[in-house]
Amino acid sequence: MLNSLSLLRRFAGGTLVAAALALPSAASADTIRIAFGDIATVESLHFLAAVERAKEKGVDIEMTFFKSEDVAAQAVVSGDADVGVGTPYALIQKVKAPIRVFLQLSTLRFYPIVNAEAYKTWKDLDGQEVAVHARGSGTEAIMKLMAEREGIKYSNISYVPGAEVRAGALLQGNVKASIVDSPNRNMLMEKAPGKFIVLPLGDVKASDEALYANTKFLEEHQAAVDILVESILQTWRDVQANPDVVVEWREKYGLLADIPDDMAAEIKPYFKDLSDGKALPLNGGGAAAAKDDIAFYSLAGQIEGDPATLDVATFWDVGPVDRAVAKLGAQ
Amino acid sequence: MTAPVRLDGHTAGALGAGQVAAAPARRASFDRPILWRILSVALVLGVWEIAGQIPINFAFPPFSEVFAAFLRMMADGSLPAAYAETLKPLVIGVVISTVLGVGLGVAMGLSRLSEWLVAPVFIVLQAAPMAALVPLLTFVYGIGLLSKTLAVILLALPVIALNGYKAIRNANPTLVAMCKSFLGTRRQQIVKVIIPDATPVIFAGLRLGVAAGFIGVMLAELLITPTGIGDLITYHRSVADYAEMYAAVASIVVLSALTLAALQAFEVRVLRPEKRGS
Repeated sequence: MLNSLSLLRRFAGGTLVAAALALPSAASADTIRIAFGDIATVESLHFLAAVERAKEKGVDIEMTFFKSEDVAAQAVVSGDADVGVGTPYALIQKVKAPIRVFLQLSTLRFYPIVNAEAYKTWKDLDGQEVAVHARGSGTEAIMKLMAEREGIKYSNISYVPGAEVRAGALLQGNVKASIVDSPNRNMLMEKAPGKFIVLPLGDVKASDEALYANTKFLEEHQAAVDILVESILQTWRDVQANPDVVVEWREKYGLLADIPDDMAAEIKPYFKDLSDGKALPLNGGGAAAAKDDIAFYSLAGQIEGDPATLDVATFWDVGPVDRAVAKLGAQ
Repeated sequence: MTAPVRLDGHTAGALGAGQVAAAPARRASFDRPILWRILSVALVLGVWEIAGQIPINFAFPPFSEVFAAFLRMMADGSLPAAYAETLKPLVIGVVISTVLGVGLGVAMGLSRLSEWLVAPVFIVLQAAPMAALVPLLTFVYGIGLLSKTLAVILLALPVIALNGYKAIRNANPTLVAMCKSFLGTRRQQIVKVIIPDATPVIFAGLRLGVAAGFIGVMLAELLITPTGIGDLITYHRSVADYAEMYAAVASIVVLSALTLAALQAFEVRVLRPEKRGS
């Protein structure tokens, strides 16, 4: 009994020492723990490739995929992850979490779409119901912004999460006006040619996904963060020049090896669409993107106060992007 | 189970003021569990307040802020409106579960055949992790009221039915034998002996079913589409209004606890008078 107890104690002591030794190494200069607020899909393939390329340059990166952006943000705030993917503007402003956005990954790309039998233009939506993703979401903000610009007022905004769900409802005729992403817009146009009209969207610019981290982490791990940012910018530029390269990367790095063939077939069209639309932010956003985001997310109700008086430095650390653009050249 | 009894007016009245005064001070304080309950709640809220003031996490507001947020949401009408939305599937689901559950429970208790047919389904349903099944409802029943009501029924019905079944099956055999010896018919046995004897346990099942219904409606509102309280929780989390988010969460917890306490008080007062004042 005594023996086993002392053995247990020794074992426990050993484990503690091992844990104490292991902890600092988990957050050492070369390791970045990235919290992704979604599951990895075809749409995140270029990001996964950029991570692999950063790894080749000596940065150890661990990816964790969470159920939602909120959970990923909590992981970053509590120190369980170093870098998060999302747009945590509300979190930064309202709870004064010491995190900063440092790289824009993508901009919002949504398409207001209406049933051609019911509506033709924005003006027709005056007094009508529209369906968006969720309260406080980017899709709601876009629809509100357009209503403001067009001088119209919706009778009601209903919330239907998931672009594919809204697209399905449009097809069935349950919803007459909504807003969907590019794969679902294409699907609607293919399945029911002529039945839907995509309404013109003026100049709506805002980040859809961005990278953010604790200010302390950005200071202490500048070298590793810089390599990651450079890898992503270089990858985005390579995709812009030749979207088919994503398929090569997928094979080379063994990314999303398990996806079915029909999904794999979407890779080329998806990235060609991004490239043709010049939708990838090739210079990482920076101060200009920060200003657009502040204006947009104020309207979305995520952040409070007059957008003109809100300071970029409250939300963004533009250092990493500025250094990477200086090194790679602006495009 | 006996504790809440002491709260009711009868007991307080039965305990004469003189008796309490005569008892030692320490005894007296134990005779008034309400004091201890208030103290226990105050203690939890105090710890919450301190933890929020430290704060233990950026997203953890102190109790005072949450309470202020609760008052704001009551004043601007968003919380009452959300409850109007949340209570719809909850009430419909619980009513359907009650009628079906008690009916099936009694049938299973009285007939071996219906027990074999129905009981396994409920036993499996009761053991199943519902959070994994609720999102599947949308594939068949869409995202509306029907799916949410079904989620409530999925959680509440098995509890109510299985409790009803056990209550009938465990009806006091002495009473049943007595009924037989007085030449009671099978019908009299069921209506005059078995069901009255089983009523307290069936009602306890209803209480547990209501608790399960609260879980079901929250799962539905968080996993299917955000409406009502689920929408308040999701929305305020997404815009980082954590005080409002906690206020919505705490309000549903309190409502659920109060509903169950009221049902328990009713159960003890009306159905189990023998438990009163024990």
